[in-house]
Amino acid sequence: MEENIIELRGITKQFPAVLANDNINLSIQKGEIHAIVGENGAGKSTLMKILYGLLEPTSGEIFFKGEPIKITNPSIAIDHGIGMVHQHFMLLPSFTVAENIVLGTEPRRRKIFMDFKQAIEITEELVNTYGLKVNPHLKAEEVSVGIQQRIEILKALHKGADILILDEPTAVLTPQETEELFVVIRKLVKELNKTVIIITHKLQEVMALSHRVSVMRQGKLVGTVDTKDATEQILAEMMVGREVLFDPLDKKEVEGTTVLEVQELKVKDNRGLFALKSIDLKLKSGEILGIAGVEGNGQSELVEALTGLREIEKGQILIENKNITGKDPREIREMGMAHVPEDRLATGLSKKATITENMMMGTHDKEPYAIKGIHINKKPIRERAERLIKEFDVRTPTQDVLVENLSGGNMQKIIIAREFSFDTPILIISQPTRGVDIGAIEFIHKEIIEKRNEGCAILLISAELDELFRLSDRMITIYEGEITGEFINGEISKKEIGLYMTGKQNKTQEGRA
Amino acid sequence: MFKELFNLTLLQNTIRTATPLILAALGGLLTMHSGMLNIGMEGMILLGAFFGVVGSYFFASSLAGVALAVVVGILIGVIFGFFVIELKADEFIIGIAINILAGGLTIFLLRSMFGVKGAFSSPGIISLPRLNFPSLKGIPFLDVIFNNHSVFVYISWILVILTYLFLYKTPYGMWIRAAGEHPEALETTGVSARKMKYISSIICGVFCGFAGAHLSLGYLTLFTENMSANRGFIALAAIIFGASNPLKTFGAALLFGFFDALGIRLQVVGIPSQFTQMIPYLVTVIALFIITKKHLTKVKKVGEKEGA
Amino acid sequence: MKKFITSKDTEYLISLFLSITAALIIGALIMMANGRSPIIGYASLIRGAFGSKYNIATTLAKTVPLILTGLATAISFRSGIYNIGGEGQLYLGAFAAAYVGFTFTTLPGVIGILLAIIAGAIVGALYAFIPALLKVYYKIDEVITTIMLNSVAVLFTDYLVNYPFAANQGKMGGTDMVETSYRLSRLIRLSTLNTSIFMMGFIALIIYYIMQKTSTGYSFKMVGQNATFAKYGGINAKKQMIVAMLISGGLCGVAGVLEVLGTHYRFLQNISPGFAFDGMLVALIVKNNPIGVVFMSIFFGALKTGSIAMENTTSIPSELVLVIQAIIILFIAGEAGFKRIIKDYLMKRNLQQKVGGK
Repeated sequence: MEENIIELRGITKQFPAVLANDNINLSIQKGEIHAIVGENGAGKSTLMKILYGLLEPTSGEIFFKGEPIKITNPSIAIDHGIGMVHQHFMLLPSFTVAENIVLGTEPRRRKIFMDFKQAIEITEELVNTYGLKVNPHLKAEEVSVGIQQRIEILKALHKGADILILDEPTAVLTPQETEELFVVIRKLVKELNKTVIIITHKLQEVMALSHRVSVMRQGKLVGTVDTKDATEQILAEMMVGREVLFDPLDKKEVEGTTVLEVQELKVKDNRGLFALKSIDLKLKSGEILGIAGVEGNGQSELVEALTGLREIEKGQILIENKNITGKDPREIREMGMAHVPEDRLATGLSKKATITENMMMGTHDKEPYAIKGIHINKKPIRERAERLIKEFDVRTPTQDVLVENLSGGNMQKIIIAREFSFDTPILIISQPTRGVDIGAIEFIHKEIIEKRNEGCAILLISAELDELFRLSDRMITIYEGEITGEFINGEISKKEIGLYMTGKQNKTQEGRA
Repeated sequence: MFKELFNLTLLQNTIRTATPLILAALGGLLTMHSGMLNIGMEGMILLGAFFGVVGSYFFASSLAGVALAVVVGILIGVIFGFFVIELKADEFIIGIAINILAGGLTIFLLRSMFGVKGAFSSPGIISLPRLNFPSLKGIPFLDVIFNNHSVFVYISWILVILTYLFLYKTPYGMWIRAAGEHPEALETTGVSARKMKYISSIICGVFCGFAGAHLSLGYLTLFTENMSANRGFIALAAIIFGASNPLKTFGAALLFGFFDALGIRLQVVGIPSQFTQMIPYLVTVIALFIITKKHLTKVKKVGEKEGA
Repeated sequence: MKKFITSKDTEYLISLFLSITAALIIGALIMMANGRSPIIGYASLIRGAFGSKYNIATTLAKTVPLILTGLATAISFRSGIYNIGGEGQLYLGAFAAAYVGFTFTTLPGVIGILLAIIAGAIVGALYAFIPALLKVYYKIDEVITTIMLNSVAVLFTDYLVNYPFAANQGKMGGTDMVETSYRLSRLIRLSTLNTSIFMMGFIALIIYYIMQKTSTGYSFKMVGQNATFAKYGGINAKKQMIVAMLISGGLCGVAGVLEVLGTHYRFLQNISPGFAFDGMLVALIVKNNPIGVVFMSIFFGALKTGSIAMENTTSIPSELVLVIQAIIILFIAGEAGFKRIIKDYLMKRNLQQKVGGK
């Protein structure tokens, strides 16, 4: 267990705008489970892509069993027994499971033809050896996410992986699937003598699974520790570089009236399945209602239905007692709702446009920014942009910079500045601090609370429990499209709420029963 | 009149007119599978036709003509690949640029090399050989289908089968399709998606070179300005109508070739041929509509209602 | 108001300049390979394009269809819907104008001209409406449908002009002449330059205003850059795409109308030698900037006019300019890629030097 199978020395990766890896020294021992933790953007994935030959380091060396090697493409990594399961799965949707598994190392007949029969046999053999059940005949697009991950693992093992890199493997899994995955990982290491590198930002998982853990922060390796000597608190501090306990926020008591009401809402997802199965909720002015849930349990669809981006199958949504069903995003905005979307690049911004152009969205055909709603009036538009940049502390040389040249935190501030400036009675805020640095998080949290104190009704969706506990007045847990519980902040612990988020406990059913 | 139109000559003409479509479409469907829409086939065919004549004329050999057409095809395939893959330029802009380049360059060279305008023909241009199977002589139907065609007619049929086997029965074909469907997935298994795209682009250039050489050396031995006459776009239509499957695309190309041949015969009897000529384009648009609508209703049944 | 030129714009202008220079150098090499002097060649080209009043007039006359179809491309491409069907829309618009011109022959001249322009614009717009609907409501790739519909329109007008509307006398493949009072007056003797250039100028100003100065222009741009963002922000992306496509089709239709009323006075079966494709190239080269379209159209018009003079004096075939144009397009399309490769290389060298110097 002491032998270093991989050693990274002085690995540096410079991208045009960022230094993603800064002089990283890391060694991986044979037969260990080595966790690499860090916030979003800390450089974990970049480092692993370098190890797998998908990126070339700007400088630095990699040693394999003490010998220096150059991994310029994945096939060299594969030759050295390095396999990787990517965060976004690398499967071909229209190919069968077996074809996906043998891709790149296909069994052949008469040298040039693909041997489909043998591909299936290989798959079945892998299934037997590793106990990861998959159906070789199905197409990859026909199986669940959990199964897709198994295919990825089998694919890597089939290519002879002794060192398995798993990039955020639990992000898309249910708790049961996560547990199953951990069983498999332990088995691979204990019984089959594999080495596993797991990238994650979930500290409980690190504590439960790994032997050693390396912490990255802003492109640098902060340190490597034995898991048994670490606690979640220590790791968290290493990750963020300072104590993670935020100052408490100053909440005012606000007397509120119900401004948003959702009744028996049913919504389908992109695959046509019900993502929301009858949701009821009420939101009062001057309160923050947090929605807690594992990602993919209907939160995105709820937000899209509320903001007019997704059709409602059944039920209704009322803004100040007016039904918004069938209205488009523009009408809903005019009825008094603004929206900070979960994916800022896909929905919240146009990265090819300037800050000014992004900030004028929604005001672009309104007086005084457009004279008679037609003629663009540059002066007030630029003044408004300048004001918002200052107020929301967007770090940029000028307002004419293209958004794609800004950091995640600054992009997020542009969206928040724009949406908050509409002064709507209702705000829908989704993942406000995802991929944003600590300083910006603090700033954004304060802005949200200020809005609340001004009497705005805020619906907050976040995958970060800390954020929900810090900001919410009230919380709702959602699991598989249903509300499983409702709590006043302070009456439940993070650990307890986890049971509701994973459907292991359900207040509403208890109530009915 | 029906008899006048629908006779064995029509069948024979169909086979002839379909051949360049088949060849170009096979090339184009490979780039399509590897994730690139190539609308430069029109120009690639034109260049093939021109350099086929050049090679045949200067070396007094039709084989040399084909060889030169192939070399130019490879070159243009590499250029297309370089701009689209390496420089990440918009593939349709590059396709258009290739079409314009081919149109200008062939006329320019026609005039500066041969000093003629419009068309170049000479007894010095050696045509491609025709094949005959004596055993089929006199057998109705088979005689017409299999005898007395230029050599590329037979090659195109063989290529249909080879392309089909290549795409669906060999690992290389899987890689080509993978490069189009999810290039990163292919890269992570250690196979270069870039390489696959280059290969498909080069094969497309070669097949279009064949198509061009067939046009200028197959039955006629001459080159005329804009000789490709929209065949590259009809080939594109065949690919889309045939859902990029070599066998179905072959069928589509035959169908379009049939309407082309029919149009020529209609003209002979004094009936406007424009409508038969329109068919490939119209059919493609309608087919796209029907396929999409079917797909949409299918999805709708499950319930997807995602707005753009 | 302060005109803001970002460093991106400067960078682009440099790339454009380099691309054109490189293409001209390649053109010079081709001339030399043909045993001709590129200096004499280019000199006669410039003289041919701008050497006399007549030459300038001919150059300007060539810009009319280029600018209209170029703007048509710019407005649709900027809105994220790719109208490559300009050629077909142009043919149909041209035929509509000819039809008006030889059918309603008793109207006052101005009315007749206006009617022809409106008819051409509507026909062109309607023909663009089909692929727009297919794109917006069925997500059918408009690149493919517009390419296909081009051929359909060209063949359809080809049929019309050879059968039901074939000229009673004279030219094959042409309609009857349009009413004399509908013909646009020529401005310079012997040149085809006519008053259509003023109409084009007026239309171009309107399009420039819409694209650069209005909330509609802003909506077009946002829809083109990120349709999801536009929709989220309250813009009806589907509607904007359709509107952009209608304007685009209308412009191409008008380009056809002006060819009929200003140049040929009738519809001819090959009335356009690919104007819409040239216009598209123009727009692509200047990245859909309306002012750029105007300047690049003048450049293209000059190349075309000058190349004829070049051919006459040096016997270098005029098609050389097509080669030059195609090469400019290739370089501009690959511009971002070239820049990226150069930047990567410089960065790598820089870093290696730093590391090596340790």
